[in-house]
Amino acid sequence: MTVAAGSAPPPEPDVPLIYRRGVRRLLTQGIYVAITAVVIGYVYTSLDLREFGFGFLNEPAAFKVGNQWLTDVDGVTNSRITMYLVGVWSSLRAVLVAIALSTVLGVLVGVARLSSNWLVAQMAMLYVEIFRNTPLLVQVVLVYTILLIGAPLIENVVNVGDFFFVSNRGMAMPWPVPDGGFWNTPDWFVGVWVAALIAMAVAAGRLRALRQDRERETGQPQFANRWAVGVFAVGALISFFVLGAPVSMDRPMIEGTHYIEGMVMEPEFTALVAGLTLYTSAFIAEIVRGGIQALPRGQTEAANAVGLSGYQRLTLVILPQALRQIIPSVTNQYLNINKNSSLAYAVLYDDLFRVANIVQNKAGHALEMFFVIIVTYMLISFAISLVMNFFNARVTAQRI
Amino acid sequence: MVDMPAQNPQRIVLPPHRERARRPRIVRLREWARRNLFNSRAGTALTIVTAIILGLLIYGVIYFVFVDANWRVITDNRWLLFAGGYPMDQEWRLWFSVGFVFLLIGLTYGTWASLGRRDHLFIVLASGFAILLLAHGGAAIWSTLWYLIAVGLLYAGYAITIRMPREAGPGRTLQQRSVAGLLIAALPIVLIVLLAFGGARPRELEGFVLNLVLAPVGIAGGLVIAIPLALGRASRMKAISWTCTTYIEVVRGAPLLGWLFVALFILDDVIGGELIVRAMVVLAVFTAAYMAEYIRGALQALPGGQSEAAHAVGLNQFQSMQLIVMPQALRISIPPMVGQAISIWKDTTLVTVILPLRELKGNADSAIAQFEFTPDRIEAYVFVAVVFWVVAFIMSRISQRVEGSLGIGER
Repeated sequence: MTVAAGSAPPPEPDVPLIYRRGVRRLLTQGIYVAITAVVIGYVYTSLDLREFGFGFLNEPAAFKVGNQWLTDVDGVTNSRITMYLVGVWSSLRAVLVAIALSTVLGVLVGVARLSSNWLVAQMAMLYVEIFRNTPLLVQVVLVYTILLIGAPLIENVVNVGDFFFVSNRGMAMPWPVPDGGFWNTPDWFVGVWVAALIAMAVAAGRLRALRQDRERETGQPQFANRWAVGVFAVGALISFFVLGAPVSMDRPMIEGTHYIEGMVMEPEFTALVAGLTLYTSAFIAEIVRGGIQALPRGQTEAANAVGLSGYQRLTLVILPQALRQIIPSVTNQYLNINKNSSLAYAVLYDDLFRVANIVQNKAGHALEMFFVIIVTYMLISFAISLVMNFFNARVTAQRI
Repeated sequence: MVDMPAQNPQRIVLPPHRERARRPRIVRLREWARRNLFNSRAGTALTIVTAIILGLLIYGVIYFVFVDANWRVITDNRWLLFAGGYPMDQEWRLWFSVGFVFLLIGLTYGTWASLGRRDHLFIVLASGFAILLLAHGGAAIWSTLWYLIAVGLLYAGYAITIRMPREAGPGRTLQQRSVAGLLIAALPIVLIVLLAFGGARPRELEGFVLNLVLAPVGIAGGLVIAIPLALGRASRMKAISWTCTTYIEVVRGAPLLGWLFVALFILDDVIGGELIVRAMVVLAVFTAAYMAEYIRGALQALPGGQSEAAHAVGLNQFQSMQLIVMPQALRISIPPMVGQAISIWKDTTLVTVILPLRELKGNADSAIAQFEFTPDRIEAYVFVAVVFWVVAFIMSRISQRVEGSLGIGER
């Protein structure tokens, strides 16, 4: 009897139906689906779905959302969904800043933990042990409390040359704003200048790659980084003046008990970002340390043998290889930062979670609001994963 | 010639590292410092800068702790912070639980690890911290005494189990099984002692006690849900693996605060009951999704030959799971699981943020809401941080020791 290659042998005729694998699987899944359906059905019937719908999001908000930056949306005329989007923008800001800072700090501490300097290594270990083992909520609230109690009142504000102000209402600093410049140009000239800057950044990156290639081919130093930075700086200056200086720095001022103009970092924002940064950087430090330690010792020794300095050894040999192991775990930490940013609630920073809670308090519809929250967090997580996967693909493209 | 040309019979040539070790301590210390602190000009500068920063930090901490801070916000609110609304006349139930858990820690250490010098040091320091807190107010002597009895139980349990033979055999198996059984039964026992037979009502669990109840419930409940979930996700049956994957991804998609929001507003209609029970359910469901991913990772890390070998010797699917695959997978997943457990321990603070449940941080908020303690907010939060740190440190330390003696991470 011939059986086609790859196909299963015909079932024995005397095996009862119940013992056949396919039948069993079908039966198991049937029972499973039935049970799941009953559970979901129970949950569905016990929920109050009489008024289910998202129409309430279009009604006027009638509440204020603080901590706005670059937006000035009032809650009187705008809808609830608009206020929620303002909250999303606040969350995104905190998450992005916290990701950047915790990465820098985490890599520094992680490298310091492996320092040949005993004192530095011990300090780094202390840092990790302290911030990894205390609740993030307590860290955020503690920083917030210190900022409120420790910083001076706005009446006794610390004034650094009229450029920086520090008080318990936050830190104010100069910030670029559109300006008519020499020829009284309209505001959209800023856009032109930013576009020019981006174009020059791309060109500088291209130039850097070209010079690096030439250095690799000829062995002659081509100063790729210096060239790139120089070209970008000169181009930025020239385009700035050609466009008639469309941007000027806006210095902060104090009017009564409030900052006006400039950029203000409120204590709520600072506390949230500082808490997220301290907490996550301790975890990133451990990931970086693990990634470096997983490299064979020969890499360090080889780098020493060809005469690289400590800094060169780290940036040219060790970290590029360790990145392959580091990036997936660090991506997880970034996703955690995204989710943990909901702790803004504890310091009354108006992020998406807090705004959603306010909406829920005003309008009810808890189920719909939760649906909106989870979809938002998932979208942000998805965007972070997408960027990190792209980065990961670039790092792992080079085979070693 | 049998006679050795020994001019100096006293001189014995040692291997280089022993030779180095023979030199006086001060020389060795100087060498160590040169190697680890002052190995180059840049290294020396780094050491000096770090030492200055460290000195300033130490000065700041000492100044804060001994001069600036008003610790009466803690000592006056001792009961509020630790047990909150727990009925005061039932205090013995709390101490009974503490003693029981300390005894279990001693038994665990004696069975699978041993207490090193650093462990003793840590116990002494932590006890000093605890006694410093307890030795105030009316019942100071009694609570200190209770605490000392609990520590005594820890050492008693340790002393009993450390003397038992470690060689594999029926006695050793019996010992391991009984300690493991006690560990599994610990949570129900403690809950019964705290709540049943005239104890507190669930909503009277507050303060630090609430953290200490919520975290184990979350961890144990999470583990119970996580194992079938991980197997389901790895299953070849599409209906099962899809629903398990959806569960895991959806739960991991939203922050814990979001799920506590669900416990407050939505679960009320679905399961009802006490808010604290709903919080426990949410913690378990939330933890399970993360733990399931760690178990799934461990299942994938196991070589396929394991389950094939199990089938070859005639074990059925269930037996192979129970006897061959799961024990190994769980062992591999212990380190990330402990990380998750510590994470849940820290996350128990979140129940305060949107639920009207008051754990340690929540009751610290109440403590500083009193008029006379409003300026002492930093002290209260520092105290909360230290308490959480101590427990998290104990958890990671125990797991490190047990991991070491189980040989996890080695082949």
